[in-house]
Amino acid sequence: MSDCKSIDPLITPYIDGDIDAADERRVDDHVRRCPPCHSRVSAERAVRELVRSRRAEMTTSGASDALRARCAALGGRAAEDRSPEGSHSLKRARAVAGARSFRRALKPFAVAAGVVLVAGGVFLYEATDRSTRLLAAELTADHVKCFGVVNTLVGTNANAAAVEQVMSDVFGWQMHVPEQAGGELEFVGARPCLYARGKAAHLMYRHHGQPLSLFMLPQLARRGQPSETVNVMGHEAAVWSRDGRTYVLIAKEPEAELEHMASVVQASLH
Amino acid sequence: MTSTFEADALASLDSLYRTALRLTRRPADAEDLVQDTYLKAFRSAAQFAPGTNLRAWLFTILHNTARNRARDLAREHTDVDSDAVERALEATSGVADLAAAGATPESILLRETLTPELQQAVDALPAQFREAVWLRDVEEFSYAEIAGMLQVPVGTVMSRISRGRRLLFDRLHHLRPAHV
Repeated sequence: MSDCKSIDPLITPYIDGDIDAADERRVDDHVRRCPPCHSRVSAERAVRELVRSRRAEMTTSGASDALRARCAALGGRAAEDRSPEGSHSLKRARAVAGARSFRRALKPFAVAAGVVLVAGGVFLYEATDRSTRLLAAELTADHVKCFGVVNTLVGTNANAAAVEQVMSDVFGWQMHVPEQAGGELEFVGARPCLYARGKAAHLMYRHHGQPLSLFMLPQLARRGQPSETVNVMGHEAAVWSRDGRTYVLIAKEPEAELEHMASVVQASLH
Repeated sequence: MTSTFEADALASLDSLYRTALRLTRRPADAEDLVQDTYLKAFRSAAQFAPGTNLRAWLFTILHNTARNRARDLAREHTDVDSDAVERALEATSGVADLAAAGATPESILLRETLTPELQQAVDALPAQFREAVWLRDVEEFSYAEIAGMLQVPVGTVMSRISRGRRLLFDRLHHLRPAHV
């Protein structure tokens, strides 16, 4: 007769019916003689049957229509990202041209500050109705989170032109995405973030390991408010508005350094 | 990528979302995870071998994404020692407990369980047992498919399902002492 220890790994496949005939007989023989193992089989089987009998009730909720629409939209876009031909190549050419001009503007600050630049496009949510500090805190959390997951989404093969396409398709937002900065600034990738009731897109760069985020939002309640720099969650955040958008630049840098970056980024963007 | 591939992939949206919800336990995180999954799936559509199980392939991407995400986030948070979790469960969920469940047939004991109680008990399981039980008993994947998704040996899949079910039994049967 088999002992409990040798029977143990067979119990789950025995219950699931995923076991060969010889092992099944071994388990049958054993549990007939061994009350604890018999109990164990009964308990595990009862749970399996319970979960399976409630499967329909546990799977009534599904994905929201909004999520469905977003995922469906990803399909066409990904196909276009891979296509070397068509209108996309035009946009790609524009992206490269845009990258060049941004690169020139950014290089001195990149050399000086040594940063990872995360340029984020944030579109349509209520964040700008809130206080500057709350806005900065929420976006800092977003920045940390998005930077944490960037590798899972884009790996190291991020393509600036493809990202620009995503910005245009998903966010309706025309922008230039710099890809390289004279070897100083490495484009890490981009991701669409879900945040509050809207969505955001992050463009991420790496330079000497320091992260920096630039968020852009439609200007709502901040109209006319002055530029501000606030300290939140160990980060400095510079917030300013211009041409109908609000920008938030976030990095773990001294205030003066961040304000310097903000002025360089402002010069690059406008 | 054909539109058929896209449509077939999107047919799994609900079950991917529900599984993501079991993994993250937060709707916003689950939506984020599912969206990332589809983005990766559509981008790497060429890597999918036609005729193989598209649903299992999508679930694999979902779990890879969740795993990488958890690993990245763990750099900023205290990590859970999964071996310690396993050891603790070994100690508390022993055969003796189950033997002590009494003469009442176990299935009768659980019959009165309300679905919300069951759902809560599933959600309260440690992540590795939760996902194994969910993938097996709700999504009905094979041991081998789950092993591929979780990137663990088949034996580990079986032991996680086993411990997950036993843990569920313990929790659910403690909810109903009056029935013993």
